[in-house]
Amino acid sequence: MRELLSYLKPYRGKIALATILMAVSAVCDLLLPTLMSQVLDKGVYGAAEADTFGYIVKTAGVMLGVSLISLASVAGGYWVVYHVVSGYTWSLRSALFKKVHAMTLEEVGRIGTSNLVTRSSHDVTTLNEIVSMLCGSILIIPLMFLGGFILCLQKDVFLALVILGAVPLVIGVVLLMSKKIEHLWDVADEYCDKQNDLVRERLRGIRVIRAFDQEQKAHETITKATRTMADNLIRANVSMEIIDPMAAFVLNVAALLIVYLGGVRMERGNGLTAGDIFAIIQYISIILGAIISVSYDLVRLPHVRVAARRLCQVTESTGLEDSRLADGAVFSGSIDLDHVSYTYPGSSLPALVDVNLHIRAGEWVSVIGGTGSGKTTLAELLLAFRRPTEGKLAFDGVDSADLSARDIRSNISCATQKSMLYAGTVAFNLRMGKPDATDEELWAALELAQIADFFREQPEGLSFLLNPAATNISGGQKQRLAIARALLKEAPIYLFDDSFSALDFLTEARVRKALNEKLAGRTRLVITQRVVSAMHSDRIFVLSDGALVGCGTHQELLESCSIYREIYLSQTGDKHCCQAGSSQIPESAFSEVR
Amino acid sequence: MKEKKEKTRLLDETGRRLLQEMKPLRGWIFLSAFLCLLLIGCAIAIPELLGSLVDRLYEWSRTKTFDLSQSLLPGLLLLFLVYVLRAAFTYGNAFMLQNIISRYFCAGLRIKLSEKLCRLPVSFMDKTPAGDVIDRMMDDVSDMAGSIHSIVEILLKGFLQMVVIACILVATDWRMAIPVILLSPLSVFLSARIASSGEKYWDKHFELGGDLTSLAEEAYTNFATTKAFRREEELQKKYDDLSREQQKSGIIAYFLSSIVQPAIALVNAMAYIAVAVLGGWLIIHRGVPIGTVVTVILFARQFSAPLESIAFGLGYIQHIKASARRVFSLLDLPEEQDPAGYLEKEVQGSIRMSHVDFSYDPEKPLIRDLCMDVKPGRKVAIVGPTGAGKTTIVNLLMRFYDIQSGQILIDGQDVSEISRAENRRLFGMVLQDTWLFKGTVAENVAYGSPGASREDIERACACAYCDSFIRRLPQGYDTMISEDSTAVSAGQKQLLTIARALLANRPLLILDEATSNVDTRTELLIQKAMDHLMGGRTCFVIAHRLSTIVDADLILVLRDGQIAEQGTHQSLLEQKGFYYELFQSQYAI
Repeated sequence: MRELLSYLKPYRGKIALATILMAVSAVCDLLLPTLMSQVLDKGVYGAAEADTFGYIVKTAGVMLGVSLISLASVAGGYWVVYHVVSGYTWSLRSALFKKVHAMTLEEVGRIGTSNLVTRSSHDVTTLNEIVSMLCGSILIIPLMFLGGFILCLQKDVFLALVILGAVPLVIGVVLLMSKKIEHLWDVADEYCDKQNDLVRERLRGIRVIRAFDQEQKAHETITKATRTMADNLIRANVSMEIIDPMAAFVLNVAALLIVYLGGVRMERGNGLTAGDIFAIIQYISIILGAIISVSYDLVRLPHVRVAARRLCQVTESTGLEDSRLADGAVFSGSIDLDHVSYTYPGSSLPALVDVNLHIRAGEWVSVIGGTGSGKTTLAELLLAFRRPTEGKLAFDGVDSADLSARDIRSNISCATQKSMLYAGTVAFNLRMGKPDATDEELWAALELAQIADFFREQPEGLSFLLNPAATNISGGQKQRLAIARALLKEAPIYLFDDSFSALDFLTEARVRKALNEKLAGRTRLVITQRVVSAMHSDRIFVLSDGALVGCGTHQELLESCSIYREIYLSQTGDKHCCQAGSSQIPESAFSEVR
Repeated sequence: MKEKKEKTRLLDETGRRLLQEMKPLRGWIFLSAFLCLLLIGCAIAIPELLGSLVDRLYEWSRTKTFDLSQSLLPGLLLLFLVYVLRAAFTYGNAFMLQNIISRYFCAGLRIKLSEKLCRLPVSFMDKTPAGDVIDRMMDDVSDMAGSIHSIVEILLKGFLQMVVIACILVATDWRMAIPVILLSPLSVFLSARIASSGEKYWDKHFELGGDLTSLAEEAYTNFATTKAFRREEELQKKYDDLSREQQKSGIIAYFLSSIVQPAIALVNAMAYIAVAVLGGWLIIHRGVPIGTVVTVILFARQFSAPLESIAFGLGYIQHIKASARRVFSLLDLPEEQDPAGYLEKEVQGSIRMSHVDFSYDPEKPLIRDLCMDVKPGRKVAIVGPTGAGKTTIVNLLMRFYDIQSGQILIDGQDVSEISRAENRRLFGMVLQDTWLFKGTVAENVAYGSPGASREDIERACACAYCDSFIRRLPQGYDTMISEDSTAVSAGQKQLLTIARALLANRPLLILDEATSNVDTRTELLIQKAMDHLMGGRTCFVIAHRLSTIVDADLILVLRDGQIAEQGTHQSLLEQKGFYYELFQSQYAI
């Protein structure tokens, strides 16, 4: 929590200024009834008849001045407050963003992308609202309370005690209620979410629902959920509605008490005037107004705790990212895994078990395996997003534990299955691979990835704008763009992690051919589920349940590795070729691709 | 200007319909109005009573002739009673309004929308993102509920209170009433003016906020890629710049909103001062009792109190109407027409499509003059590259979409004569997109076979190779699963949908083969389970791997939405056309 507050430090001066301005305005607001009571007391009953009206006009002038000062200072106060708040929000956001990028993949995975987004948008906004409330409206209440109390104290100590008792009582009750309300809201929100999920489920499953003629049942389920949700919303809303009448009631009773006690004390004659009592009643109504206007904000206060706690989860995350400094090492491209195992934190079974895998510089190898075989874990180990829990991963014989993650990543160019692209132009996305690439180079890379024609047909060409998550191009196009981006980056090692999965067989064959020409002499590692993607490489490694179960060429594996044969069979249904050791594939097709 | 325009448009088509929607709640709204009247009564009584009490105080300090504390007591008690009543009425009204709004109005509309969904064609769901429908059902309906609040709080309570108090002010002392009544429109004008000048900053603030969120979302989703290409700094700068831009508009927007209240307070203070001056003068020169001045001062506060919420409410009504329009437009969508016919006899399973034309978009004809004849018990495979329109055939057979011309005949009977439900009851369906609802495994398998016993369910599961993994689940057949449940893998979900179809035991079958994200062994199981399912039924198989359909009785080869070729595996290979090319490519090329 302290960390979150530390971002407010640079604004100490401004916060003090805002407080002063707010205080001035609060005092001004309270001065009005005081002056008014003077008009009534002295102006009408006290001073000499002759200049009574003069006195009234003079006091009225002062009142107008006080009102103007109040407006000016409150406006100034808010102006300063919002500068503080926006500066705070900005630095908090920026720090969060930075922090996330300093996290490990593990931590990002644990908190979850959508949660991280919620934290840097929704939670920051909540905190922002609270900070502006703290500096703005909520600050006014204690100031008003204090001011009212002091003014009252000057008139009558005894009556001041009534205010001293009533106001904290009201604030306390509001805070207490807000806790209960918060819980009710949580429950209500939960039912809203349930309703949301039900509708979403129904819309998603429309075909199955109609195929099984279950529309009526789906409608009934939703009807029931709607009623439950309504009940819970009513409960939360109604308990919220009790705050205003209750606060008003308590303070009004306090006002009655003041009239009565004031009357009693006036009778005893201790200098208390009717105007004073009238003024005190008005102080209470001003304080009441202030409390009611922020009661909804007060109710939200507990939300802050939740938001702050979630933000702290991010700011307090550790992250192993780069303790080692990058020194610009350039690899030649050999990769060695010696008895590498990896176990996910909290998991009892390892995702990779005792993997020995040696790749020579310039070799073209594939790793094949089904879902859950450990392929992705292997890719993440290579990119230093994870470090082996056992064994050694070495580049050029140097233990990766002695290398900085940044250096490792500089030496590996990769394209992944989900082909992460950024909203922006095609050129922007491609230049991530090579910031100073010329347009010609970009086109050449697109050409190799078999996607140049598509962008040539677009009037915008390289300036073609991709939507967020690149929703305006197809999955296959995304993968080819990611491949083009990987090709642009100069590196000794190229890693393709399931990056052909959305391409049809014909296109994939063309891309593969282009890659092998362009990347000849570089280390190429293709991680895939598809036999066609792997079968032509120099060597194929077969992963199953985290263990390496086979290694060799396509032909060797067909003969020696039952799992490889099973995969091959299930994907091609070619029952003859594995027995004969050859297939019906025309020879020309082979030579063309390689 | 703007205010005026809004007012004249208040009762347009949407506004009238909104009122129509509230008609059943008339009684409750009248009751609420009555409570509001009582509240206004309290609002009037309070300054009067308080004024008379203060009057007593002044009178005593002038004359000192009576027992002040005793003479105050009856008034105090009365006032206390009024305060109690007011608190009770306020809470009672709120309680009632919340109940009407949530229980009857919102829930009623939501149920109406849900009912509507039953009668909308599948094409609507395909075109409309789920989030859009959910927004209408949840947020928009909530916004519409604001209309009841507005009517009661603003029109009934606010305006009524202002009118009544204005009358009383004039009756109490018309001279002092003038500044109070004249200055209040000024504060309405001021607040509306400030609010409207802040609008564009709010718009910009929210727009940039949205951009900022999508940027964060993108950055976090692409976490690994960003790091692999070492673009962290670049993104950070982009994010920081955008964030700064957003804060700039935010400062102004927040500032303008926050000074609305102080500005109104200033106008109120001016009224207050005017009353003080005028009141002082009247006391001295016209002998007006001081209690009158006090009453006017207190009434002045009550008079201006609803102003702010009225100004806000009038603006809010536009927002409500925008929401109402969206909800009504969904309720007004054309519904699917369904013939009421039944099948004449037990279905054997022959299907004929003759000269069928269909397209989703009239500008892009998709299926033209499609003819096929499937005898009972035959297996039809539909193949082709992604996006060729394979699922369109499913859509037409299941009557999720209607053909535009031609005929589909089941056992010689034109399906357009029979009801959709009757038509669909003939088909079992296993789609690639496995849909399971939130419920137990057993409930999911029995979906569509409501009378199935536990034994039936287990038998179907055993047949679909799910029994063994279901038994390994924490609660076996009673384990809760859902769409995004991780308790079962993608392949296992597929097996469950096969069990579901097996249990439903329909004479015709549609299968969409799953491929991706399924490990080899599960895939073999799925193949075997599907073979069980197909036994003896007329079936349509959408194939992604050609190896599984070489034995089909008829293969339809789709390309760009057209049937490019049709025939058996052998005959198509001999043609050396597109099918041949597809078949070869899965081996090497």
